Amino acid sequence: MTDHFPWLTTLIALPAIAALLVPLIPDQNGKTLRWYALGVGFLDFALTVWTFWTHYDISSSALQLTEQYAWVPQLGLNWSVGVDGLSMPLIVLTGFVNTMAIFAAWNVTQKPKLFYGLMLLLYSAQLGVFAAQDMLLFFIIWELELVPVYLLISIWGGPQRFYAATKFILYTAFASIFILLAGLAMAFYGDTFSFDMATLAQKHYSLTFELLTYAAFLIAFGVKLPIFPFHTWLPDAHGEASAPVSMILAGVLLKMGGYGLMRMNIEMLPNAHVYLAPVLAVLGVVNIVYGALNAFSQQNLKRCLACSSISHMGFVLIGIAALTEVGFNGAVLQMISHGLIASALFFLAGVTYERTHTLIIAKMGGVAKAMPIVFALFTVGTMASLALPGMSGFVSELTIFLSVATSPVYSVAFKVLITLLAAVGLILTPVYLLSMLRRVFYGQSSLPEQAIAPWMDANPREVFIAVSMIVPIIAVGLYPKFVTQTYDVKTVAVAAEVQESITRVAQAKSLEAIAQQPLEPHQLQAQGVLSAYSPTFSSAGFSSAGLSSALIAPAIPR
Amino acid sequence: MNDILLQTGWWVPCYGLLGALLTLPWSMGLVKRTGPRPAAYFNMFMTLVAFIHGTLLFRATWHHEPVELVLHWLSIADLDLTLNVELSSATVGSMELVTGLSILAQLFALGYMEKDWALARFYALMGFFEAAISGLAISNSLFLTYAFLEMLTLSTYLLVGFWYAQPLVVTAARDAFLTKRVGDILLLMGVVTLSALAGSLDFPDLYDWTETAQLSPLVANLLGLALIAGPIGKCAQFPLHLWLDEAMEGPNPASILRNSVVVSAGAYVLIQLQPILNLAPVALMTLVGIGMITAVGESFVAIAQVDIKRAFSHSTSAYLGLVFIAVGMQWTNFALLLLFAHAIAKSLLFMSVGSIVLTTNSQDLTEYGGLWSRMPVTTSAFVVGSLSLVGLLPLGCFWAFERGLDIFWYDQPLLSAIILLVNGLSVISLTRIFRLVFLGPPQPKTRRSPEVPWTMAVPMVSLIIVTLLSPLLMHNLGLLPNWEYINKSAGITLIASGLMGLIIGGTLELQKSKSRSIKKPIRVVQDMLSYDFYIDRLYGFTIVFLVSSLSRFMVWFDRYIVDGAVNAVGFASVFGGESLKYSASGQSQFYVLTILIGVSVLGLLLTWTLW
Repeated sequence: MTDHFPWLTTLIALPAIAALLVPLIPDQNGKTLRWYALGVGFLDFALTVWTFWTHYDISSSALQLTEQYAWVPQLGLNWSVGVDGLSMPLIVLTGFVNTMAIFAAWNVTQKPKLFYGLMLLLYSAQLGVFAAQDMLLFFIIWELELVPVYLLISIWGGPQRFYAATKFILYTAFASIFILLAGLAMAFYGDTFSFDMATLAQKHYSLTFELLTYAAFLIAFGVKLPIFPFHTWLPDAHGEASAPVSMILAGVLLKMGGYGLMRMNIEMLPNAHVYLAPVLAVLGVVNIVYGALNAFSQQNLKRCLACSSISHMGFVLIGIAALTEVGFNGAVLQMISHGLIASALFFLAGVTYERTHTLIIAKMGGVAKAMPIVFALFTVGTMASLALPGMSGFVSELTIFLSVATSPVYSVAFKVLITLLAAVGLILTPVYLLSMLRRVFYGQSSLPEQAIAPWMDANPREVFIAVSMIVPIIAVGLYPKFVTQTYDVKTVAVAAEVQESITRVAQAKSLEAIAQQPLEPHQLQAQGVLSAYSPTFSSAGFSSAGLSSALIAPAIPR
Repeated sequence: MNDILLQTGWWVPCYGLLGALLTLPWSMGLVKRTGPRPAAYFNMFMTLVAFIHGTLLFRATWHHEPVELVLHWLSIADLDLTLNVELSSATVGSMELVTGLSILAQLFALGYMEKDWALARFYALMGFFEAAISGLAISNSLFLTYAFLEMLTLSTYLLVGFWYAQPLVVTAARDAFLTKRVGDILLLMGVVTLSALAGSLDFPDLYDWTETAQLSPLVANLLGLALIAGPIGKCAQFPLHLWLDEAMEGPNPASILRNSVVVSAGAYVLIQLQPILNLAPVALMTLVGIGMITAVGESFVAIAQVDIKRAFSHSTSAYLGLVFIAVGMQWTNFALLLLFAHAIAKSLLFMSVGSIVLTTNSQDLTEYGGLWSRMPVTTSAFVVGSLSLVGLLPLGCFWAFERGLDIFWYDQPLLSAIILLVNGLSVISLTRIFRLVFLGPPQPKTRRSPEVPWTMAVPMVSLIIVTLLSPLLMHNLGLLPNWEYINKSAGITLIASGLMGLIIGGTLELQKSKSRSIKKPIRVVQDMLSYDFYIDRLYGFTIVFLVSSLSRFMVWFDRYIVDGAVNAVGFASVFGGESLKYSASGQSQFYVLTILIGVSVLGLLLTWTLW
C-alpha cells in the first residue's frame, strides 16, 4: 500500500516500543530511566522535525506521508495515518511538549518505571490521535490515550487525585462514545461502508443526519476542549495532576478537542457547520468570560491556570465559527500558542510548588525574593497569556478578532456582541493573572527568613525548559508567518470548502424561501434550524427565513 | 549615504531593545563578578548610538520627503497586516526628543540607582521603555502603534513593580497595568473595527479612507470613543487617571520619562488619530469634556498632596488634560507645542525631585525645608523647571499657553478661563512645594544634605540649559508666532494669572508638622483633594466589587450548579444501585413474587386496549 518508508508509523510507534522496554532497564531510583525517557522523547521529536522538514511539502493541502495497512479487515479497521496542515503543527507541538514534560519530571521517585513508561505511552497515543486517518482507529487511539492520563493523575497527583482522575475518565470516556456513535453512523450511511476519513468526507449526507452527527461530535470534542457545561473535569484534573502531566493535559490534550472539531465537524460536515457555527461562537464567548471570571476567584494556583485555559480555548471556538480563512488560521494558531503558553505556565507553577509545597495562593506571597528567576519567567508567561503584542497569544487572538469583524456571514449586531464580550474576557485576563502574580510573588515574603537560600531559585534545567518554551512564543509573536505558513494552505482549503457550503445552503434556502413565500414569517421562523437563537439574530436578517438569502448574499460572490 | 541612513532608520528603536537584551547576563545573575555596572554602560552606549543615528537621520530627513518602510508581517488570505514606519523630520524629531531624554534619564539613574542591587534589570527595562516610545514615534500604522502602546503598558508595569517587595508597589503596578489595559483593549476594538471598515491599518490609507468614508453617526461615534480610550488610559485622564499617582512608587529615573514622554506618547497617538476622530463629533466632545474635568480637577488635587512625586504626577494629568482639549477642538499645533514644552519642563522638575528624594531619603513634603542653600543645582533646576512649566516668564509653556489663549480668546471664553485657571493653580502648587522644600528652617532629614554627585548633576544642568533654550528652539522650528501677531491682552492676562498664583501660593498658610488643617471645613476640602475626590473608593464600591462578587458567584455556580448537576446524576446512580442491592435477598418467594407482579403488569399493559 505504501511505497515510501513508513515515517509516521515509526514516529508513533517509537515511544510505545520504548515504553515496552522500560521494565527491562535495571534501575531502582529512576536516575538512568529519566535519561532513557528523555532520550527517546527527544529522539522522536527530532525525528518528527526532520521528517517534516525533508518529506513534507507545506505548499500542498493534501494528506501527505500517508500509509495504509489493513489491520482487522473483518471490521474494516485499517492502520491508516497521514498528515496535513491541520495535524502537522500539532504533531510537532506534541513532540515538543512531551519531551519538555519528561524533562520537567526529573525528580520522580515514586514508581519511576511505571511513570516514565506511561509518559512514553501517552506520547505515542497523542501522536496517533493527530495522525489517524481512519475513524475507528482514531476512536481507539483516542480511548487508549485516556488510560495513561488516568493512571498518571491517580498515582502521582495531589491530595484529591482519585476524585479528579475518576471525574476525568468518566467525562472523557463517556463523551468519546459519541465519536464511535457518529463514526459508525457515518460509516454505514449510504451504500458504501468505510471508516476512511477521506471517504467519509466525500459522502453526501442529509441535513438532519449531518446535524445529528455534528451534535455528537460536538459533545465528544466539547468535553475535551472543553466547552462550557462540560468543563468541570478540567480544573480538577489539571489542579491535581503533577506538573509534567498538567503540561501535557493543557498543552496537547485540549488541542485534541479543537483538532477534532476542525477535522470532523468542519471538514466532514461543512453544511451542518454553517448552521451551527453561531452556536459555537456563542459558546466560545461564554467560555472566555465564564473561564476568566472563574479563574479570578480560584484559591489554587493550578486551578486558576486551568480556568484560564478554558477561557483561552474559547477563542478557538470563535475562530472556528467565523467561517473564514482568517478565522481557521487564527484558531490553529491559538491552539499552538496556547499549547506553548499553558504548558510553560503549568511547568512554572510546578517549579513554584516544589519550593513552597503548597498551591494555595493565600499561603504563598512574596516568594519573588526567594526565587527571582522563577518570578521573571512567570511574568513572561503571564504576559504571553494575556496576549501582549510580541507574544504568540496576541497574534492568534488578534487574528480571531479580525476574522469575526470581517466575517461576511454574520450581521453587524452579532459581530459587535461577540467582539465586545470577547474583549471583556480580554480585560478580565490580566485582572486574574496579575492578581495571581501579585498574591504569589509580590510583597513581603511569606517564607521564613532562614528558608531563603540560593538553591530555592530555578536550577539550570528548569531555566532551560522554561526558556525553550518562551523562545517559540516570542518567535511566533514577532514573526507569525514562521508558523502560519506551515498550515496556511490547508486552512485556506478548508475555508474554501466551507464557503462552498455557505453558498449551497444559501441557494437551498433562497429556493425554499421562494417556494414557501405564502407562509407567514413566524411559521418560517419556527421551521428554521436557527430558531433556537433567533432573538440574537432577529436583527441579523434571520428573522424572515432562517438563514435568509439577504444575510448570505455577501458570501456568494466569493 | 542618505539612502542608507533612511533605509536603516528603523534600527533606532532596536538599539534600545538590543541594549536591554545585552543586560540579560547581569540581570539574570549569570555574571556576578563585575557587578551590574557594565550592563548600565552597555545600555547607555546603545542609547547614545540611537541618539547619534537619530541625529544623522534627522539631518537626512530635513527637507526630504517622508520615507516609508514596510514589512509585510502577517498575511492570511485578504488580511494583510504590515509593520509600517515613516521617517519624516517630524517623526524623527520626536524620536530624537525621546532618545535624548532617555540618555539624560539613564545617566541620572546611574547616580540615583547606584546602591540598588538590581541595577542591570533597571537598565534593561529602561532600554525596553525607550525602544517602545521611540518606535511609537516613527510608527506609521495603527497596528504597530497599538503594539508599541502595549509594550509601553508592559514596561510601565515592570518599572513601577521594580521594587516588588514593597507593599504599595504591589497594587500600584497592577493598577497601572489594568487601567492602561482597559484603555488598550477598547482601542484594540477600534483597531479591529477600522480594519474591517477601511481594509488597512496604515495611517496614510486610513486618512484616505476618512475622506470617502460613509459611516452612520452611531458607528462613527462608537469607533471614535473606542479609539480615544487608549490615549485616555495612557495619558492618565479622568476615569482612568488613578494609576499615574500610584505609579510614583516606582524608581524616579523612570518617572522622569513617564511624566514627560510616556504620557506624551498617548497624546501623540491621539494626534495621529485626529483625522479619523473628525468623523466622530461625540468623541471630540468627549475629549474636550474629559480634558476639562481632568485639567481643573487634577490641578486642585495637586495642591493638596503631601508626597512630592505625587504632587507633580497630578499636575502631569492636568497638563495632558489641556492637550486633550486642544485635540478635541482640533488645534493640533497647540497640542504639539504644549506637549513639547511640558515634556522638557516636567523632566527637569522630576530630575530635581529625584535629587531631593535621594539626598533626603524622603518623599514627604512636610519633612523638607531649607534645601536652597544646601543643594544649589537642584534648586536652580527646580526653579527653571517650574518657570518653564507655567506662563509667567516667556519660557516654554508660556508660549504654548499663549497660543492656546490666542486660539480660544474670542470664541471659547470657557476654555480660555480653564487655561488661565490651570496656569494659576500650577503656580500655586509649585510655589507651595518650593516653599516647603527649599525655604524655611531645615528639618532632621534635610539638615545634612549635600549636593548630588556628578552623574545626576550633569544631566540636570544640561537639561536646565535645554529648558532655557527651548523658546529659541521653538522659534527656530517655526513654532512661535511673529511679534506683531501676538495677542497682547491674552499674554498679559496669562502673566496676571501667574502672578496671582504666585501671590496666593506665597501667602498660603503652610503646616509642616501637621499636614492636615485643624479647621474642619478646610480639612474636609483638603482631605477630599488629597484623596483625589475619593474616586478610588468609588471604584472599589462599584466596579471592583461587582467583578469580584460576580466572579465569586460564578465559582459557586460552577461548583454547585454545573458540577452539582453531574454529581447529582452520579449520586442518583450510586443510590439506585445501593438500594437495588437490597432486592437481592436470596429468597425464592421474593423472586417469584417479583416475576408475578412484573408479568401481571405487562399483561395488563398489553391487553389494555381490549378492556
